[in-house]
Amino acid sequence: MSVFVVGYYSLLIAASCLAAYYKRREPFLIIFGLTLISIIVGIIGGIGALKAITTVVALLALAAGMSYAFKEFLVTITPERWAKELRTAPLTASFGMFVIFIYAIAGIFAPVIAPHGEAEVIASSFAPPDQNMLLGADQLGRDMFSRIIYGARNSVGLALVATALAFFMGALAGLLAATRGGWFDQVMGRAADIVMSVPSLIFALLMLSIFGTNLIVIVIVVGVIYSPRVFRLTRAVAGNVVVMDYIEAAKLRGEGNWYLIRKEILPNSTAPLIAEFGLEFCFVFLLIAGLSFLGLGIQPPTADWGSMVRENATLISFGEITPLIPAAAIALLTVAVNFVVDWMLYRSSGLKE
Amino acid sequence: MGDIVSLVTKRLALGLLTLFVVSILIFFAVELLPGDIAEAVLGQSATPETVAALREQMGLNQPAVIRYLHWLAGAVTGDFGTSLVSGERVSAAIGPRFLNTLFLATYAAVIAVPFAIILGVIVALWRNTAFDRVANVLTLTSISSPEFFLGYVLILYLAVRTNAFPAIASLQPGMSFIEILHRTFLPALTLVLVVTAHMMRMTRAAIINLLSSPYIEMARLKGAPAWKVITHHALPNAWAPIINVVALNLAYLITGVVLVEVVFVYPGVGQLLVDAVSKRDFPVVQACCLIFAATFILLNLLADVGAILTNPRLRHPK
Repeated sequence: MSVFVVGYYSLLIAASCLAAYYKRREPFLIIFGLTLISIIVGIIGGIGALKAITTVVALLALAAGMSYAFKEFLVTITPERWAKELRTAPLTASFGMFVIFIYAIAGIFAPVIAPHGEAEVIASSFAPPDQNMLLGADQLGRDMFSRIIYGARNSVGLALVATALAFFMGALAGLLAATRGGWFDQVMGRAADIVMSVPSLIFALLMLSIFGTNLIVIVIVVGVIYSPRVFRLTRAVAGNVVVMDYIEAAKLRGEGNWYLIRKEILPNSTAPLIAEFGLEFCFVFLLIAGLSFLGLGIQPPTADWGSMVRENATLISFGEITPLIPAAAIALLTVAVNFVVDWMLYRSSGLKE
Repeated sequence: MGDIVSLVTKRLALGLLTLFVVSILIFFAVELLPGDIAEAVLGQSATPETVAALREQMGLNQPAVIRYLHWLAGAVTGDFGTSLVSGERVSAAIGPRFLNTLFLATYAAVIAVPFAIILGVIVALWRNTAFDRVANVLTLTSISSPEFFLGYVLILYLAVRTNAFPAIASLQPGMSFIEILHRTFLPALTLVLVVTAHMMRMTRAAIINLLSSPYIEMARLKGAPAWKVITHHALPNAWAPIINVVALNLAYLITGVVLVEVVFVYPGVGQLLVDAVSKRDFPVVQACCLIFAATFILLNLLADVGAILTNPRLRHPK
């Protein structure tokens, strides 16, 4: 038994005893559960496994601390009205906001942060990491780290544009359908049904095979595929608002549809729409990443996370984790957005009841 | 019973209609090509004579509606024409691959469905505890990860570093069933991870939704234990939404399967589709899309019918 193992178990046991003594049920269950798991894992995997658990726990604690600090930071710098809302954010949501913040910084300041250009060949292919290249080189000898930073700009930017298009089309159609009703509503509803009855990836593949893979086609195709979801939600939300008395009053005043949408309906349906934007972004981002992974998205030499995974996939058979980093970057951003959306949905549903 | 039969027939008719419209969409989307298929296939350097000859050979001189009816009549009988690239019959290329894809999806579903429902019930029973929160974070992570990320992580840890399973799920004739299960375990596990998380969350939500109902309170007041309240009182009423979610996720498997097949080089329809898209082999693309769309619509149909059938108010009309 090394000092590490003795220290590890005594720390865990002491902590669980403390939690039990102060009747803190949840921390106790977590810490003691961890102790029991460590015993099993320790017997199977030895000291290496215990060290891995320590690293994971330390990372989690670090993430939790960072999220907490970031939330407090946001609470301090934002005006009182927002700060009140932000204080209710759980740790997961503040973690999400922190990650989104980091990605935004990486995307906006990519040329400043990245040490090399995105298409600059600086080494031999698959060169190992050195002091010049943090993560080594990719299949053509370009700096992996710089490409990941640029990827934040390209992949996320494309997904944002496509989401904005889907959202604009879907929300506009939904609002018009709710205010005008009649044949417009019927036609849009049936069209949305048809688009939603084809799996999105299959639909995208069909369209890309016909129109070829360039950025504009991708944005339009993805926008069309995901607008029915927004359409349905907007129509449902706006449908609930349209029957209100104040809408009737505005109509009697002689206000037009456009005024109703802008001044009466939109301000009363923002919360679910913002949450939907986040969810929609996740779907679009994953779809575009999937397309890039299949070689049908953003074309080289532009750095893009999905295609980077595919191009460097051979490294995985040598036990390297580098090709997984762009994939993990995709997953992390989607998780982060989901965390924030989860909190917002919870809030907007809680306020309604 | 009359109510149920008419409801189900209506739903079936609607499903057929949707499939019909989708087939129109798939066929006429290709008509949107600038020029036509013959020009797209032969490329810029083709002489007008060769283009005309290919048009004649493919019957492109007929009006689009006639060609659509021919295509549809063929598709219904399993004949999708010939591939532009290999000259093979499309149905011959798709047939065995479709069985492979179905096998992979079924394999994943057989593991995922019971697993997800049991976990969902447990999480609903232990709602708002540390276990529930950890499960919430884990399932969200699993839903948010692209399929290829999960696939490569599994390859890295279960195939490359530990050698427990093969990284490439190629199938050869004459392999025993156990061997096939072993070979295709990693792709199936990837699909399981993606689908389980969603089904589990929805099962939890469906059950918790019911927990505020008066009859649940009644059951609690009469002293039924917590697990019995859930299994005897909440679960039977939650079946409709759960069946719905299961069918929707099986439909999702059909899409997820494309990426997973590419990651694991599994000989299924998804890989064929991706190849055909990059080679612009339209008959194959159309056939694959139609098959995927039909399966998707069928599963959605099953979801609706299942929800109708599990509704006791419809089963016992007054």
